[in-house]
Amino acid sequence: MWKVTIKGILAHKIRFLLTGVAVILGVSFIAGTLVLTATINKTFDGLFTNIYANTDAAVRQKAQFNVAFGAGRGRLDDSVIPVVRTTSGVSEAAGIIQGLAQLIDKKNEALNKGQGAPALGFAWIKERDLSSFHLTNVKGEKESRAPVAPNEIVIDKHTADKTKYKVGDTIPVLTKNGRANYQLVGIAKFGNADSLLGATAVIFTHDTAAKVLGQPGKVDEILVKADSGVSQAQVVRNIKKSLAGRKNVEVLTGAQITKENQNDIKTALGFFNTFLLVFGVIALLVGSFIIFNTFSIIVAQRSREMALLRAIGAKSGQVVRSVLFEAALVGVVASVIGFVAGVLLAVLLKGLLAALGVDIPASGITIPTNALVWSFIVGMGVTVIAAVFPAIRASRIPPIAALQQVGADQSAGSWKRIVAGLLVTGIGIAFLLSGLFGGGGNALQSVGFGAFVIFIGIAVLGPTIARPISAVLGWPIRRVKGITGLLAEENAKRNPKRTSATAAALMIGVALVALITVFGASASASVNATIDKSMKADYIITTEGFGNGTLPRTLEPQLRKTPGVTLVSGVQSGFVKIKGSVTNALGVDPKVVGSLFDLEVSQGDLQALQLDGLAVSKTKADDENLKVGQKVTVQFAQTGRRIFTVQAIYDQTAVPSYVISSAAFKQNFPDVFDAQIYLKTEGGPTPQNRAAIEKTMKTYPSGKVQDQAQFKAAQSKQINQLLNLVKALLLFAIFIALFGIANTLGLSIIERTRELGLMRAVGMTRRQVRSLVRWEAVIIALLGAFLGIVIGVGFGWALVKALSSQGIKVFEAAPDQLILIFVFAAIFGVVAAIWPARKASKLDVLQSISTE
Amino acid sequence: MTASAPPPAPPLSAIARAVNVSKIYGSGEAEVRALDNISVEFGTSQFTAIMGPSGSGKSTLLHCLAGLDRVTSGQIYLGDIDLSGCSEKELTLIRRDRIGFVFQAYNLIPTLNAAENITLPMALAGKKPEPAWYEQIVRTVRLADRLKHRPNELSGGQQQRVAVARALVSRPDLMFADEPTGNLDSKSGAEILSFMQGAVRDLHQTIVMVTHDPNAAGYADRVVFLADGKIVDEMLQPTADSVLDRMKSLGE
Ligand SMILES: Nc1ncnc2c1ncn2[C@@H]1O[C@H](COP(=O)(O)OP(=O)(O)OP(=O)(O)O)[C@@H](O)[C@H]1O
Ligand SMILES: [Mg+2]
Repeated sequence: MWKVTIKGILAHKIRFLLTGVAVILGVSFIAGTLVLTATINKTFDGLFTNIYANTDAAVRQKAQFNVAFGAGRGRLDDSVIPVVRTTSGVSEAAGIIQGLAQLIDKKNEALNKGQGAPALGFAWIKERDLSSFHLTNVKGEKESRAPVAPNEIVIDKHTADKTKYKVGDTIPVLTKNGRANYQLVGIAKFGNADSLLGATAVIFTHDTAAKVLGQPGKVDEILVKADSGVSQAQVVRNIKKSLAGRKNVEVLTGAQITKENQNDIKTALGFFNTFLLVFGVIALLVGSFIIFNTFSIIVAQRSREMALLRAIGAKSGQVVRSVLFEAALVGVVASVIGFVAGVLLAVLLKGLLAALGVDIPASGITIPTNALVWSFIVGMGVTVIAAVFPAIRASRIPPIAALQQVGADQSAGSWKRIVAGLLVTGIGIAFLLSGLFGGGGNALQSVGFGAFVIFIGIAVLGPTIARPISAVLGWPIRRVKGITGLLAEENAKRNPKRTSATAAALMIGVALVALITVFGASASASVNATIDKSMKADYIITTEGFGNGTLPRTLEPQLRKTPGVTLVSGVQSGFVKIKGSVTNALGVDPKVVGSLFDLEVSQGDLQALQLDGLAVSKTKADDENLKVGQKVTVQFAQTGRRIFTVQAIYDQTAVPSYVISSAAFKQNFPDVFDAQIYLKTEGGPTPQNRAAIEKTMKTYPSGKVQDQAQFKAAQSKQINQLLNLVKALLLFAIFIALFGIANTLGLSIIERTRELGLMRAVGMTRRQVRSLVRWEAVIIALLGAFLGIVIGVGFGWALVKALSSQGIKVFEAAPDQLILIFVFAAIFGVVAAIWPARKASKLDVLQSISTE
Repeated sequence: MTASAPPPAPPLSAIARAVNVSKIYGSGEAEVRALDNISVEFGTSQFTAIMGPSGSGKSTLLHCLAGLDRVTSGQIYLGDIDLSGCSEKELTLIRRDRIGFVFQAYNLIPTLNAAENITLPMALAGKKPEPAWYEQIVRTVRLADRLKHRPNELSGGQQQRVAVARALVSRPDLMFADEPTGNLDSKSGAEILSFMQGAVRDLHQTIVMVTHDPNAAGYADRVVFLADGKIVDEMLQPTADSVLDRMKSLGE
């Protein structure tokens, strides 16, 4: 029995390969993701191990609330430093200060102002062992030294190389205190690397850093080196004792802080990891359709052989095992190749990240064992499971069939199938909707599972709808291509199960792309509608980066002095903890905000918002049962708990749920920047006004001046940038479906050899044969695209409805883009048909006619 | 009977000619000489039957004449065209426009109905059949009420009639049939054969048919006997009995 199986595989190498490709691609994605994350994790593990190599203890403020990278933690009084330093067992202690500092290059451009690596500022640490930066000399330049005077800085080597700044140069730097010139006195390396993963680093004296990065008299944290022979635990105990009276201070060992930072990164990357793995799973889902289909066709084609095997005494179990054995073999080979391809993919992605400026210094690639294990589990699992049904079907072929001509399976839909399909689809929709609208902890899983079940349901329904839809899609082709079009359409319709399973593989990718398209269009349209309705400012100053903004608060008064500007107000954003959850709060100037951006206040008075006044969105107020006049505790990282009073409730959904005054923001976020600045000008947006504002902005090159139209365009661009990345990843799934179409057609051609020979005999040219195959592929692709678009638009509609309270109020189907998807699907069909069409056209006429 | 070929009957005017045609399969030990230096002509409006034992090269000759296969040496002329000098594409177009072919079985495209199968070669050429001619053929093969049926809804005899109609619908220079009645009972076979006979007599078509059946050969105007890739005999105005007699004598 095994011999027969293996001979079968060897006889159909191409088929074997094509089946495998679907698995290979899915596995490679998963393996690649795991390898890449492991590599990045290892890099960061190493990074933090280096940073804290000589740190035996760390002293810092206890966190007010937990949010990534210590944004919920306040600063420590620097009076603690001498206390720590004089504690027994402490050899050295240094105060750490870190913040945002944007270096301006010789062309007056702010460096790292976008979404890539950040622009960081540090305080110089005199204690060499506790510092990660070490001075280095550049050939032909003055010797590097540490910053001593308040206007002296050191920058990292990578930035120095990039900007061609030399020791002795004067360099403008933007900090929260505005723009100032500094003297470059030294170049530093970060450990052995030229930079800290591509971030720009400006290193000030300790006192300057406290002023321009943090708060005078405060440090972020104190790092401690113990005397030799004193253990980390011992020195921590000693420090705790000497800091006994101080509340809110915590002391950690070097090992603990290293681990904590490593874990923070892992958590942050975990999202990225999951994100990529989801695409791997989608790819495998698509792949499983193709495997299912391939084995179904193979079993149908070999049914005579199978029946013969059974007639000569093979048990049905042996037939099942022989099919499963073939599947397992495909699975093993594909898993191995997929794993290797995954490692290569990780190398490629790493290179890509480096090209984007995120230089990961790890020399090698880390291959975790779980990448290998998962490659096999997933590759084998998917292949074997997808082959089980065809295998069972194979075993049911009665031995008598060996003696009969077995016709193609033309059955399309039974009532049973329709009922089952509708039932499964219904269950999927129920899960999807409950996830979207029911809320709850497992919303995301519920949505994902619902979508998965809907795909299965539609795939079950597929054969019943494949024929009529193919007829509609085939109509124009028939009109244009005549007989070859007719034959293509008939071929697509002759085996509805096969056609629909092939199309279903494409459907999944297209549905997700359509979903993203619809969602993106809706989000853009919603943002545009909000801006049209609520934006009253003539100009908006924005920065490119994510996060809480990088416009120094010193910019606002500069703009106020600018000719033509009648009204200016910056808005701030930062983390707070209210009612038990950490959330973003917005800071606005209550006096003028109404003239710049309409918050649609429905209760209370926003204009009269006081220093301890809080405005709440309608949705949040309803959820938390907040009323005007009610007192609420707001917890800040730096200043702790404060009591605020609800003074206004607004309907606007495009802003965070809580708004406080800029004055209160300034008080509670000492290092705050403006996220955006809104302006109104004399006579509205005119070239003169713009020129005047841009002149002021020359000093602050990190900001961008936008009028309403530009602002809208920039917002849409930001939304679409992210979504385009998702679409690019989904292309992978579509690519796999392409192999599916090629594979199915290739197998169908084997089945139709005699018929193709006959057509050639009566005068069909090779070109016509190719066209015949091509148009069949196009019909299958369009069928998949059609189903995908219908499902995708449905998903998109549900998602938009579910997010209406998050500011996405407009549903926009983007028909032009959907048509484009349709056109691309047709092109994909043509591409998928290249190989099978060539194969069909090369058939030998006489041999084909005489095949059985 | 001696191996020397009898004098060829003067054809009315030859539409197809094989001149010194040999067809060799394989090489060395495994070499098979399917056609051995054959020369033969087929006249217009003539119904020729080719007979001979199994493996004598009948199908091979037909395939070479129809441009489905290439000869190893010699020439095949269709009118003035030398098929051995034609490209693959030219041969395809010749088959489509100038030749009709009926195989023993599986002649039809399963996804097309009878009418579509009949007009397939013309449709491939982007042409429509002459309505009058089409009507006449459909009527003669008595398929008028079956035109919308697919092959699997037709009997074997009906399928062969569709195939014959397809072979004739474009008014080819020549129609070839390789054992067209081989899979049919005698009644259906007789129907096909008398139809082919009618096509030659009344519609002035030219048909070359391979058959094993003396009765079938009896419908033809001329019988050519093949053995071991050579033409060994030939007979004009055959009847089933005279063919049977001749076969017996050849078989000795
Ligand atoms: N493709 C091929 N390769 C090798 N030999 C072949 C091939 N086709 C035919 N032959 C050989 O050529 C010879 C003639 O074959 P052909 O099919 O023409 O015979 P035939 O007269 O049609 O026989 P039958 O009455 O059985 O159909 C036979 O010996 C056959 O084995
Ligand atoms: Mg033959």
